[in-house]
Amino acid sequence: MSEASPILEVRDLAKSYGGVRAVDGVTFTAARGAITGLIGPNGAGKSTALNVIGGFLSPDGGRVIFDGEDVTGWPMHRLARRGLVRTFQLARVFGGLTTIENLLVAAPGHRGESAWGILAGKRYWGKQEEQLVLQAREMLRSFGMEAKADEFARNLSGGQKRAVETMRALMMRPKLLLLDEPMAGLSPSLSRQLEDLFLKLTGEGMSLLLVEHGLDTVERICGKVVVMAQGKVLSEGRMTELRTRKEVQDAYVIG
Amino acid sequence: MGAWEFYLVVILVYLGTDLLAAWGLNLEFGVSGVANLAFIVTIAAGAYAYVVFTLDTPAAGGSFQQYVGGFHQPFPIAVVAGALAGSIVGVLIGITGLKRLRQDYQAVAMLVVSLMAATVVSADTPFLNGNAGLVLLPQFTPFSDQDPETRRWLFVGIVAATCVIGYFVLRRFTTGPIGRTLRAMRDDELAASAIGKDIVAMRLAVQGVGGAFGGVSGALLVAFIAGWSPGAWAYIETLALLTAVIVGGMGNDRGVTIGTFLIAILVLQGVQFLPQSFNSLRLGLREDMGWILLGTLTIVFIWVRPQGILPERRPKYGGGP
Amino acid sequence: MQLLIEAIGFGIAAGAVIALGAVGFSVQFGMSNILNITYGSLMTLGAYVGLFLIDRGISPWAALAIAGVVVAVFSVGFHRWLLAPLVRRGTRAFAIVIVTVSAGVVLQYVIVIFAGPEAKSYGEQSAQTFHLGYLLMTASQVTIVLITTVLMLALHLLLTRTTIGRAMRATASNRILAQSCGINTDRISDIAWFLSGTLCGAAGVALAITTVSFDFSLGAVFLIPMIAAAVLGGIGQPYGAMLGALVVGTASELAAAYSNPAYREVVAFAILIIMLLVRPRGLFGTAWATRRLMT
Repeated sequence: MSEASPILEVRDLAKSYGGVRAVDGVTFTAARGAITGLIGPNGAGKSTALNVIGGFLSPDGGRVIFDGEDVTGWPMHRLARRGLVRTFQLARVFGGLTTIENLLVAAPGHRGESAWGILAGKRYWGKQEEQLVLQAREMLRSFGMEAKADEFARNLSGGQKRAVETMRALMMRPKLLLLDEPMAGLSPSLSRQLEDLFLKLTGEGMSLLLVEHGLDTVERICGKVVVMAQGKVLSEGRMTELRTRKEVQDAYVIG
Repeated sequence: MGAWEFYLVVILVYLGTDLLAAWGLNLEFGVSGVANLAFIVTIAAGAYAYVVFTLDTPAAGGSFQQYVGGFHQPFPIAVVAGALAGSIVGVLIGITGLKRLRQDYQAVAMLVVSLMAATVVSADTPFLNGNAGLVLLPQFTPFSDQDPETRRWLFVGIVAATCVIGYFVLRRFTTGPIGRTLRAMRDDELAASAIGKDIVAMRLAVQGVGGAFGGVSGALLVAFIAGWSPGAWAYIETLALLTAVIVGGMGNDRGVTIGTFLIAILVLQGVQFLPQSFNSLRLGLREDMGWILLGTLTIVFIWVRPQGILPERRPKYGGGP
Repeated sequence: MQLLIEAIGFGIAAGAVIALGAVGFSVQFGMSNILNITYGSLMTLGAYVGLFLIDRGISPWAALAIAGVVVAVFSVGFHRWLLAPLVRRGTRAFAIVIVTVSAGVVLQYVIVIFAGPEAKSYGEQSAQTFHLGYLLMTASQVTIVLITTVLMLALHLLLTRTTIGRAMRATASNRILAQSCGINTDRISDIAWFLSGTLCGAAGVALAITTVSFDFSLGAVFLIPMIAAAVLGGIGQPYGAMLGALVVGTASELAAAYSNPAYREVVAFAILIIMLLVRPRGLFGTAWATRRLMT
């Protein structure tokens, strides 16, 4: 697996934010089919880096290469279509849509959304829609939420909304999923369930890049870990090694 | 044609054109979340396009009106021109509204655009005859070989047919996968972008389609009343439509239909039936009361029942438990 | 050259009136995060209350003060019993603005019903004019400029030297933080809306004084230059609004003097649209204020 080219390559990424160089020449790679962690003390620039990679912010400098293609500066929707999908720290569901619709709307390349599909009507996209509904119901079942399928998403609880956000990202069949603190606020058992899910997904070929504060989680599931501090990459390697390196320990103490 | 019969014709034509306009606004605002308070400009564009395509050249009319165009086209072509004009203006308005502003700021910007358009058209006389507006001479309705009574009812038929077709086209956009996607864009533009939807393209497309609805509405209306001036499309006219959408039920086509019926008929025509004494007090008093009623209705509904009379429906999908 | 200086003179006079309105509008946004479009009709109300008083022999300047108070009371009530509850309930900003637009329409037509749609006038103003080089201004214009300057100074002193003023600035800046410091933010809001309402009513009367005749559309028409001034200066920033008002006033008069008088309005529109599309936070808006504007 390490012979294959990396799914993501970030070179000299730079982003300034209100006068501060939040991301200051960041370079690292994320391996294909693996879970890469991005850690560091508060204010290190991890979330900003993730936002730039995900297309939410445009970089001031540097390059982002995804699956062999230079996608620097691409807008979010274009990246999402290519397979680079991000989830949000605060779950953003479509409140006026039902739960199952939240999943259906994420399915890429629906024929019913093309100009011809709109005019031609159900005859044209009906079959595809049926299959998507089956797929969506299956996913709801695996997350234990099939009972809420027809509930307006705005009425869901916080945890349920997080689940919907994750399911929605998965419906897109991403190649690389960017996650910003996915375990935040979750109980230990739910955390473990999510960890198992992530491992299962990478087993199926998906790649993950996550920003995470819970170092135990990071140790358990991440292959390579990149440590950032003050906008730069401080160190990288496996979590067990990193724990022993002095500069990493210092960064977390000083912050 | 008796006075009551004529009145019925007038109501039906107004209702039909208002429906087309309300459906367009609902598509833009209720379904897709585009706060287009300059919608009236697309209606005006359709009306002016119709007039300019129907009239003969200015010189042929004795130069008593100044305007661009004058293509002397038959009714169907002029209506299509109206639809296209509404569509193009809709997209142009959409381009001005593209910056990611907070919705209320954007609403005000749109109102200003609407006001500005009226001011520019009023001031620039060679364009569309300025403040005086344009008049169709002779009054041009289709089927001109029939007697006036039959002609009027045939026109009602045309409006009705256009509404049926319009509703059919509308449903194509407000239901199914695209309806879902538009609502997602309305609920959370950022999240919609994150799942691969091209927000800019969708907004402009929606304003193009909504604008076409507005354009056809304006074209049909002007074909009937045979005159159009900046006074007919003051910025507050969008508010009447907006009231219909809010009262009826935002995002719900049937709701908006009911809302339009309520506003166009019960309110705007209802005030005409206030005792004659009102009008002898002062001309136009009844219209003023109409506006007061509309404004109050909007506020009351936002306060008590913002989802409207018929709230958005919850779609069901097959294969459930 | 004479034309230029005259136009600048008119611009200062116009700017003074616009400033009265723009500053009030800006304060309301800064305090409550609401674009209060009803402001236009409230100015109209001020103008008509002024008319009522002037017709009964009260001096225009006393009428200005009284009308200011009347509109202030309306403004506080409007915010306290209609807008604030809606905001508390989580009503979206767009719906709030629709409420203010609708309320503006209702108020405007209620005024029409009571006062009639025909044009009104405050009658002959003193024809006395003042010359300063090429500068030419009427007595009314000079008085308005003086009144506006005094009011702006008073506002500045209030905001910077008094406890209430500091509380107002704190509440506008961060409501929750202000509450945790023990500030009664609801009462401060009421005070802010009362004061800005006074400016609103005063602006209405000032407008009526400076125009030959007016009707119920007075407020609606002049709201545009005022919002333009407020946005130009950075919405929520009263000092920016003052500067913005001068710019808008002078630019409008210059345009009217050098080309078509009809372009007076168009200048204000253009400034507003360009600001909204290019730089919504205005000249002096802070990034913090802008975050409230962008989604």
